[in-house]
Amino acid sequence: MPQVKIIAKNFMDMVASLPAIKLDKLYNNVFICEAILRSLPPLAKKYVLQMLYIDVPVPSTMMEEWVLADGASKHRVAIDRLIQLRIFSEIVDRKRGTSYSLNRTFQNNLQKHIISGGVLPREPMNSDNAIKLPSLQELEAYANKKWESFLLQLINSGHGEKLTGISESMMKIFQRGLLSQRDKDGPRLTESGFQFLLMDTNAQLWYIIREYISNAEERNVEPADLISFLLELSFHVTGEAYNSNTLTEVQRKTLKDLEDLGLVKLQQGMKDSWFIPTKLATNLSVSLADSSSRKEGFVVMETNFRMYAYSTSKLQCEILRLFARIEYQLPNLIACAITKESLYNAFDNGITSDQIITFLQQNSHPRCADRVPSIPENVTDQIRLWEGDLKRIEMTQAHFYDEFPSKDVFEAACDFAREWGGLLWEDSKRMRLVVKSEIHNQMREFLHTQSK
Amino acid sequence: MPSVASKQYSDDVSLLVLLLDTNPLFWSNTSITFSQFLSHVLAFLNAVLGLNQLNQVVVIATGYSSCDYIYDSSLTSNHGNFESRGTGMPPLFASLLKKLEDFVTKDEELSREEGHEDRTPSCLLSGSLSMALCYIQRVFRSGHIHPQPRILCLQGSPDGPEQYVAVMNSIFSAQRLMVPIDSCYIGVQNSAFLQQASYITGGVHHTPKQLDGLFQYLTTIFATDLHSRGFVQLPKPIGVDFRASCFCHKKTIDMGYICSVCLSIFCEHHKKCSTCGSVFGQSKLDEASSVSDKKRKAPHT
Repeated sequence: MPQVKIIAKNFMDMVASLPAIKLDKLYNNVFICEAILRSLPPLAKKYVLQMLYIDVPVPSTMMEEWVLADGASKHRVAIDRLIQLRIFSEIVDRKRGTSYSLNRTFQNNLQKHIISGGVLPREPMNSDNAIKLPSLQELEAYANKKWESFLLQLINSGHGEKLTGISESMMKIFQRGLLSQRDKDGPRLTESGFQFLLMDTNAQLWYIIREYISNAEERNVEPADLISFLLELSFHVTGEAYNSNTLTEVQRKTLKDLEDLGLVKLQQGMKDSWFIPTKLATNLSVSLADSSSRKEGFVVMETNFRMYAYSTSKLQCEILRLFARIEYQLPNLIACAITKESLYNAFDNGITSDQIITFLQQNSHPRCADRVPSIPENVTDQIRLWEGDLKRIEMTQAHFYDEFPSKDVFEAACDFAREWGGLLWEDSKRMRLVVKSEIHNQMREFLHTQSK
Repeated sequence: MPSVASKQYSDDVSLLVLLLDTNPLFWSNTSITFSQFLSHVLAFLNAVLGLNQLNQVVVIATGYSSCDYIYDSSLTSNHGNFESRGTGMPPLFASLLKKLEDFVTKDEELSREEGHEDRTPSCLLSGSLSMALCYIQRVFRSGHIHPQPRILCLQGSPDGPEQYVAVMNSIFSAQRLMVPIDSCYIGVQNSAFLQQASYITGGVHHTPKQLDGLFQYLTTIFATDLHSRGFVQLPKPIGVDFRASCFCHKKTIDMGYICSVCLSIFCEHHKKCSTCGSVFGQSKLDEASSVSDKKRKAPHT
């Protein structure tokens, strides 16, 4: 049995929580096997490769010898993940203990993929039909614009015009965890909403897609089909046109929604219509598991707490506004300052100092990023100190005991409290005791027995 | 010499530079044919590329008298190769095989032009190591977001002691760049150069015993990315052959003379160092015999 519980935090957890039959059907598709392989933790990938051509089950004791002592926890995590995704099947034998073997379909598909590469179910259309394909830069600009307007609409609903073609109900689903409805004021961002904004694009994209897929069942769309289509999409080539007549009806509807998110660009010709995947789509399988952001940064942080962001995007301005005070905005630059008030504001909204610092580090301008550390230490230290300011006082519910009849009873009571792990404070000179509320009842009974 | 610690990486994106031995003198008499060997290697490359979308692979062929870049995965991605649809080979490697064929023919011509020197049948390891390091240096300079580079040397030819200086220089450059050099030796004798290379740069050296299981060796040991190497059991070095070869005759020696200025190694006494030009005094051995004569006279006074 897997020793780690599944909490559906991200997309792969959702895939892992699909019922067994559906998961096995997913593995019939070579590209899904490949995408899932890429999403595994590094140690798990290694195990899959090593077991690829082994037909007999391998005892778990032998597998434990493959790692050094300090890798034992990573080993456990890797094995659990492989069992959750049904890539490893566990065989428990009383004599020989547990052993693992690779899922047969998965193994065959991966072997085929390694030896003969993979062929997509559709080929790019030839460009001799005089289709005007957008260049890669145009495509990227288009994708970014679409994604930003989607995000802006996500967090600004209620005020603004409708920027994208997504229906009101779909938006509500996406906003489910992120915005909270208040009666008097408009909807406000929740704590998870703020954290969502500070994540990097890929993580945000996967969150939205996860919501979209979990909602699929209500719209009578099979989630496994959606998952397989999305993972297949990530293997297409950016910038090449693919004919839409190779898609099923469901996939075509999905494509329309994906266009609003900026994942594909739909175009219509005289006879056919085709779709062009953007970089957002093909990068889907880059970071399925964790979010290692590898894009250009734009923030320069100075030691006098001033921040300069080389960006023109409204969305990034909104994000910076979360924790910094925007001083002025120039055509290519946003000048801000990190102050105590702006940070207190952010902390009130539930953002932690670690998130702010990670955001700054991940988005630091290439010139700054080469420096070690990329953000000046006095800034990071001060942010953490200001957060610590708000956490000086910690409250625990407790009871206060006074006027003990004798020293022995006092000592006995102290020991009793210590055994139960509830002793918070004692004063042996004046025989006073502060004990956690949870064990108050036991303490009372103990003292009754003592006094008899 | 303690091996250097490699850089700490947080993810497992890797750049693998594979140095493939195509020395015809070695491949003419081995237990495994070159095409079988290639099928193992190509499957291994496909596996490495499949582990992570951002992984890159560069293949450099090491011939008898020349080396060349055969394949670079970053150049062929995002281009649909329409030409190779019909062949049944994966589109990734049709270009690799063609270039390999061209290279082997060119290498053969070059070695014929050079004539039959009295050289050990070694491959040009120093040349391909230098090319690999130049490529990696270019990757380092392209920005701070780059995959973790490592070099894998697949070799069967014996060492050529005339390449000692060049190979050691490449090894020390790799050590300074913190690029591990793994080596998989499939030949008969032992390769001191490869053992030293892996030991000094913190890579893994292994000699597979059964060559028809080469793919399994490659994926188990050499596909491990640098991030995971901290906690995975990998073959440890046992007894590295640290013998040097002399600079004058290129012979492997155990004891010799060393210039105190530039540390060049010679097997016999020279008047002047050939590398830095510093003049040597009288040999210590001659001095020792004259000192002992003087000592016999000393007790008189």
